Amino acid sequence: MRGGRISAGGGRRRIALTGAASYLGSRLLRRLVEQWGADHVVVIDVARPPASARRVRHHLVDLTLPAADRRLVDVLREEEVDTLVHAAFHTDPRRDAAYSHELESIGTLGVLAACAAAGVSHVVQRSFTAVYGARGQNPNFLTEDDPLRPDESFPWIRDKAEAEQHAAAFARRYPDMKVTVLRLAPLIGPGVHTFYTRLFSHRVVRVVMGYDPLLQLLHPEDALAAFDAAVERRRGGVFNVVPKDSLTLLTILHLAQKLTLPVPHPLAYALADASWAAGLGEAPGGFIDYVRFLCVADGERARAELGFEARHGSREALMSYLAYRYPGRYPGSPARPTTATAAMAEKETA
Amino acid sequence: MKRARRRTSRPRRRSRAPQPGPGAVSAHEVPPDVQAFLDRLQHELADARDEIAGRPRPNREDGLLVAMARVLESGRRALSWESLGRLQSALYFAWHSERTDEFGFDPVFAATIDPLFQFLYSVWWRVEASGIEHVPADGPALLVTNHSGVLPYDGAMVKLALHHHHPQQRECRMLMLDMFALLPFLAPLLTRHGEVRANPDNAERLLRRGALVGVFPEGIKGVGKSFHERYRLARFGRGGFVRIALRTGAPIVPCAVVGAEEIHPVFAHADWVGRPFGFPYFPLTPTFPWLGALGLLPLPSKWSIDFGEPFVLDEYGPEAAEDPIVVNRISEEVRTAVQAMIDSRLARRRSVWFG
Repeated sequence: MRGGRISAGGGRRRIALTGAASYLGSRLLRRLVEQWGADHVVVIDVARPPASARRVRHHLVDLTLPAADRRLVDVLREEEVDTLVHAAFHTDPRRDAAYSHELESIGTLGVLAACAAAGVSHVVQRSFTAVYGARGQNPNFLTEDDPLRPDESFPWIRDKAEAEQHAAAFARRYPDMKVTVLRLAPLIGPGVHTFYTRLFSHRVVRVVMGYDPLLQLLHPEDALAAFDAAVERRRGGVFNVVPKDSLTLLTILHLAQKLTLPVPHPLAYALADASWAAGLGEAPGGFIDYVRFLCVADGERARAELGFEARHGSREALMSYLAYRYPGRYPGSPARPTTATAAMAEKETA
Repeated sequence: MKRARRRTSRPRRRSRAPQPGPGAVSAHEVPPDVQAFLDRLQHELADARDEIAGRPRPNREDGLLVAMARVLESGRRALSWESLGRLQSALYFAWHSERTDEFGFDPVFAATIDPLFQFLYSVWWRVEASGIEHVPADGPALLVTNHSGVLPYDGAMVKLALHHHHPQQRECRMLMLDMFALLPFLAPLLTRHGEVRANPDNAERLLRRGALVGVFPEGIKGVGKSFHERYRLARFGRGGFVRIALRTGAPIVPCAVVGAEEIHPVFAHADWVGRPFGFPYFPLTPTFPWLGALGLLPLPSKWSIDFGEPFVLDEYGPEAAEDPIVVNRISEEVRTAVQAMIDSRLARRRSVWFG
């Protein structure tokens, strides 16, 4: 694999990756380097790629700067990039919403414009199933054709939905440039640290009284497999990337043996907003919708067109995270590594 | 600081010097304060070893305060957040399963609350089911039922009737109104019990898998019916159920439930009361809301559930689903069939309470 694979078109692929310093980005980078060889992967980011990918060429481009698109065109032309994987998105809500907006919405606009100008033939963009918006009226299985109805007053998801609108607009305007949007369900698994995994370290988790929606938790391996399939197949369009099955919120929290505290929903929004404003909460009130209403996506199109099928279910993803984060606490997880004292005790009893 | 330390250490050094005495001065002799220190160290080491090995510690004389602190500490450890969380999780999984199906059906939860419905079925309402042979033994089918009785008990009873009397013990998935699917508390309950939100995508998904699906095409107009129009079927929506049946090729089985009309006789509506709480209607019955929670108790009428000849729609193709005239005609035919079944049952019935 070192020498790089030959793409369907006959020529060698040159893949650029943005957001390589993120959790998903760094794993994606490792995967791309394994599959296509370090010479064929270019990192475009403000942060240096991790030490394990030192041989990969790194171009420092800050997508939030006004001239980012021009600089990006130069880089893409110079490196003769034909595929760009755009993964520079914040998983966690940021208190600095203006920066998030510059990076995610305006930054994506710049990336797409640069790709179109530099003749990049395929753009793979990371997105979130949360862009559908959690609504009481949502169907049980959201398909890619369903309209995006995110909460407009909630910057975290509004920026992501805007990035998708840019992608759709560019796909329409430049038919030669294929744009693949992968809407990933929330990631959970070994190594993932996000605002929702931090809830598992809280003593008490607030839930909305009288609501218990189904949630999807995607194992990172499945997410990477979906990117593989997207890069390989070069198929434009929007695809939901979801796990095999879903779990209800209460099942998730009780599997993690968390103490739950039901809160009436008007109070839940106010509490979340207040603690977020005070700098204590993990997420603002806009997230309450996602633990109140359904936002479950259907992965049929990815199966049919990308040949991607998740190998893990939500429960496996959750348990793998819990086993990684809290070794020895949950049944079925590997035991806590034996410490010196435990070894001593064994010697004593033996 | 330094000087002070030196001063305090001086007398010790002096005492450590072997005292000239009559006995032979041995090099092994240890001064008494060092000996005391070593003893204490050994004692603590033994304690630590016991603790690691899990052996009970020898009873040592502790003051009352220390003993109390011990009790408090052990109590605190038992009442940790973690152990409370474990307790709550054990209680939860005692009557919920760890896996649900893709629509949220939880078999353990359904089995837990089933005895209540069994009681209502056989003792409270003494349900009599007939025509069960019209329900296909396998493959998809759409059960079209009249709706009444304020709360969706009729769905649960049709489900139980099929489970009890059908030779294959077919499980029926009821499509519930959006009104119930959006209510806090009731919605997760119904979902766990196996009900599915009424929308065409869900119905099609289930039917394509060969499931038996029950619908209440009257919808919200059915459940909230006033007492004086209790036996008259409301309009059957816009024929959505016919379109689903045409698209999937599933036969339509008409089903008439008589008796549910009397469990909560609605004599007036005070919808403005329920609206701020998200209820689309607020019925006034002889018992509700006057008796409070007791008013939610349904009256023990005698029920009957009749299944009729299925409508097989093979003569139409899936493209007929786009023809509103055909859809409307089939919808009207099914409605007439259900109404006829209700009327014939009413003609045979002598008493509301005894059948």
